[in-house]
Amino acid sequence: MQIYLPIAELSVNIFLLLGLGAGVGFLSGMFGVGGGFLMTPLLIFIGVPPAVAVSTEANQIVASSASGALAHWRRRTLDPKMGLLLLAGGSAGSIFGVQLFTFLRSLGQIDLIISLCYVGFLGTIGGLMMYESARTIMRSRQPEARREGGMGKRKKRGWIDTLPFKMRFPRSGLYISVIPPVAIGFFVGTLAAIMGVGGGFVMVPAMIYILRMPTNVVVGTSLFQILFVTALTTFLQATQNQTVDIVLAMLLTVGGVIGAQFGARAGRHVKAEELRALLAAMVLAVCLKLGWDLVVTPADMFEVLPVGMEGE
Amino acid sequence: MLLAALLALSLQQPFATEAPSIMGALTQETVEIREDFAGTELVLYGATRGLTIQDEIVVVLRGPEQDLRVMRKTRSFGIWVNGSAREFAAVPSYYAIASSRPLDEIASDEALVRNRIGLDHLLTRPGETPVADMLDYRKAVERAGAREDLYASAPRGVEVLDGGLFRATLALPPSTPVGNYTAEVYLFRDGRPVASRSTSLRVEKAGLERLIYEFAHGLPMLYGLFCVVLAMLAGWAGAAIFARR
Repeated sequence: MQIYLPIAELSVNIFLLLGLGAGVGFLSGMFGVGGGFLMTPLLIFIGVPPAVAVSTEANQIVASSASGALAHWRRRTLDPKMGLLLLAGGSAGSIFGVQLFTFLRSLGQIDLIISLCYVGFLGTIGGLMMYESARTIMRSRQPEARREGGMGKRKKRGWIDTLPFKMRFPRSGLYISVIPPVAIGFFVGTLAAIMGVGGGFVMVPAMIYILRMPTNVVVGTSLFQILFVTALTTFLQATQNQTVDIVLAMLLTVGGVIGAQFGARAGRHVKAEELRALLAAMVLAVCLKLGWDLVVTPADMFEVLPVGMEGE
Repeated sequence: MLLAALLALSLQQPFATEAPSIMGALTQETVEIREDFAGTELVLYGATRGLTIQDEIVVVLRGPEQDLRVMRKTRSFGIWVNGSAREFAAVPSYYAIASSRPLDEIASDEALVRNRIGLDHLLTRPGETPVADMLDYRKAVERAGAREDLYASAPRGVEVLDGGLFRATLALPPSTPVGNYTAEVYLFRDGRPVASRSTSLRVEKAGLERLIYEFAHGLPMLYGLFCVVLAMLAGWAGAAIFARR
C-alpha cells in the first residue's frame, strides 16, 4: 500500500516504513542508541531528500528515546544532573548545527558532508569500540589475577581531573569538572543537526571512556540528553527549513516504539561487552557502505539540484 | 459536454481551403495529490479543422518552471565531489511530449527551438550559441528528469482518429511537482506550426496532504512544536502500553 508523504513529496510503501521503524527500533532499544545512524542513510537510500531525512529522523528519535528514557527514569538508571549539563551543551550545538546545515545546503555540498561525517565518525567510534570490547572479551576468558591490571588503570588521574569548575554527581559517584560534559553535549548536538542522529554512538563511549561514568547509568543518561536535543533540533529544522515530515516520522515511530520495547528486553540477556562488540560491528558496516559509495565511480557524473533552497 | 463540443467542432465539415485550427482539452482540469497518490494518467482529447494527410499533431504538457544548478562530479583525494556548476533558469519541472510522428520527421530543429518543443530543446534559448561543455550539463538535466519520469516523449503517442479528432495519454509520475501546468497542442504543416492552442492544468495537494503541507509552511513554529509533542506522546504511550505487561 503506497502512501504519499506531504513534505518529502514522495510515494512510498507504508509497510516498508513500518518495517524499517521496527527493525531499527529493536536495535536502538537493545543498544540504547537512537538508531538514527542507521535510519537516516536508509531513508536517503529509499529516495527521501537528505534534508528531509535528517530533520524527520530527529523527530523520530524524540519518540524512540522518550520511551527508553522513561524506562530508565523509572529504574533510576539515569543521572539527571549530568544529563542537564550535557543538554545545556547539546542545545547550543543543535542551534549551531542547524545554521551550518542551512549554509552547506546552499553550497550544494550537503550530501557529501553528511556522508563524510558518517564515514569519519562511524569509522573512528566503531573501530575504537571494536578494539576495546574485543580486548575485554579476551581478558574475561583469562584467569582472574590478570584482570587486576585493567581495574587499576581506571583510577589513574588524567587531564580531565585538572580542569576547573568541579561538581559532584552523586548518582554517577563522580566529582569532575563541568567542562567535558558541556563540550561533549555541544559536539553531539551539532552532529544531531547535521547527521540526523541522536549521537548515542558518540556519547555512550565518551561517557564511559572520558567521563568514566558507571556503565549502568550511561545508557539512560544518554537517552535523556538525546530526547531533548532531538526535540530542539526538530523544532529548529521545522521552523527554519520546513523539512520535518510528520507522516514519515509517525510511521517510523509506530514501528520504532514497538521494536524498541522488544530490543530493550533482548538487550538485558546479552553481556555488556558483547553488546558493545555487536554495536561496533554494525557501526563499521554502515561506515564501509557509505565509504564505498563515496569512492566508487558514480552512475551519473552530474548532480542536478534545485536553486533557491526551498526544494519546492 | 467535452465530447459534445468536440463532436460539434468536427461536424462542421472541413474544407481543405479552410484555415486550419486545433483545440484540445484534458480529461481533468485539476489533479489532486492525496495520501494515496502514486502517479496518474491524463488523457488529452482534441479536434482539428482542416486536417490534411500531410499534417502532424504535437502535444506538449509543461510543468511549473524552476531554476536548476547542475554540478559536475570530480574526483579529489579518491572521493567524488560536486565540482564546477552551471545554472539553468526557468526549466520546466515536468515536460511530456507526444506527437503523431517522430519530431525530426515533422519539423526542422530551428522551428522546434523557436517554439521550445522537444526534450532536446528544453534548455536551448533561440539565438544562443551552444558551447560544447554546456551540452554535457544539458544532457544531465534531461537524464535526471527522465530518471523520475518527469521528462517523457512519445514519438507516436498522438493517436489520430476519424473526423479530425485525436487523443494522447500523458503520465504523471509519483514525484509530480505541484503547480500550474500548460498543455499545448500544435498542428504542423510543411514543417511549421500553423495552428496551436493551450489549456491549463493545476496539480495541487488536497485533503490531509494539503493540510499538513500548509501547516508546515504557514505556521512552522507551531508545526515544529506539534511534531515534538506528538513524538513524545507516541514514545510515552509505547512505554505505558508495554510497562503494563
